[in-house]
Amino acid sequence: MPAFVPHAATLLQAAAIDLEREVLPALAGPPRFRARIILNVLRLVARELAQAPRADAAERERLQALLGSGGDALPPLRADLAARIDGGGLPLDDEALLAHLAASLREALAINSPGWAQEP
Amino acid sequence: MSAAQPMEEALAGVLARVLGPGELRDLVRLTGGATKATWSFDWAGGNDRQSLILQQTAPRAAPAGGHAKSAPKLTAGEDAALMTVARDAGIPAPEVVHVLAPDDGLGDGYVTRRVEGETLGRRIVGDAAFGAVRPHLASQCGEILAAIHRLPAGRLPFLAMLGAAEELSIYAGLLEPLGFVHPAMSYAVRWMRERLPPDDRAGVVHADFRTGNLIVDPTEGIRCVLDWEIARIGDPMHDLGVLCTRSWRFGGAGACGGFGSREDLYAAYERASGVSVDPRRVRFWEAMSNLKWAIACVRRGLATQPDGRPAGVELAAIGRRLEEPLWDFMQLATIRD
Repeated sequence: MPAFVPHAATLLQAAAIDLEREVLPALAGPPRFRARIILNVLRLVARELAQAPRADAAERERLQALLGSGGDALPPLRADLAARIDGGGLPLDDEALLAHLAASLREALAINSPGWAQEP
Repeated sequence: MSAAQPMEEALAGVLARVLGPGELRDLVRLTGGATKATWSFDWAGGNDRQSLILQQTAPRAAPAGGHAKSAPKLTAGEDAALMTVARDAGIPAPEVVHVLAPDDGLGDGYVTRRVEGETLGRRIVGDAAFGAVRPHLASQCGEILAAIHRLPAGRLPFLAMLGAAEELSIYAGLLEPLGFVHPAMSYAVRWMRERLPPDDRAGVVHADFRTGNLIVDPTEGIRCVLDWEIARIGDPMHDLGVLCTRSWRFGGAGACGGFGSREDLYAAYERASGVSVDPRRVRFWEAMSNLKWAIACVRRGLATQPDGRPAGVELAAIGRRLEEPLWDFMQLATIRD
């Protein structure tokens, strides 16, 4: 990646702050509702940029251990696991499977919906 | 706005024919897309003024192929007939004033009397204004659901019978054409398939009875139950499961709709129906409700405009809610008892 200044995360943060402080207060009704969704999307993408590399690495490591496979690309690893679940090859109470699914959902929620996995 | 004028004229024409001479006032579009919209307005004639709602619904698509059963969806006429039967039974459903006819020039839909109150989930479960009525809502839901479940199916011949296995295969089938692969989704579909309850109970099931589809008044509580269009004949425990789904609690603490307790809901339902609630059966339907919302998130997240660009940001962002119901599903699936 070129040596951009500022970094994408900083640009997104600047856009989110501006939208929240300068644009939202001037809006009402449906445009305000939409702008709030856009603000949430900007913050979500910023969290994804920050957290996805570590989440991907952790998911890859778990999938390789669970499947006994050395492939690196995530989509085929996920498809392999999904196929084993669909086909009945893995019991639904398999502790390693349950731990993997919970960890992957927790990592995704930390990006998409922080707090969801903590509440009851 | 260019389309608004003919719509207003068509609506005024319908109202004059149905309600007598008058004038259209305060027309506001509440929600809507290209083929589906909700309008609020008043009809002022002589010395009275009637508060009304127009619901325009998308025309029902012909079932594809014909071999696979599709998700139940009532026509506007059927929807209105069901709401009328429900009102006859004392259930707070919208009062239908007119079902749109082709000559009305407004597409499919119906006009109902407007019911004042709150539908926004976050306010109902959180605002101080609803603090006094909130403790009573779960019991009210139990009573209303018991009344829905004993509606005379004989007067509702258009309602489809839908068993748990059919429900699962119809909704899981929606994923196939999308080519979307997700291990937790696979887990959810298989878990459901291995736990299908017998289709041993059948009643009228609303299937979307939840916070957001209820009009709530700060003193009276539930004044109206909306969105009857996916009603069917099925397992009554289905409705209790949907009502307790966490995604429909809007951040509220109570398992029942975000406003009340499961215990209050179950106790009121049992008192009103004479049927005992099987918590495991409710849990199955709550899990189904989570799976269906997860599938809906995927479909919205992948939705495109006719030119191939992504759909609006509101729909696109719903795709990122996918893990919420999947997480909740796994919590339900791993309860040990």
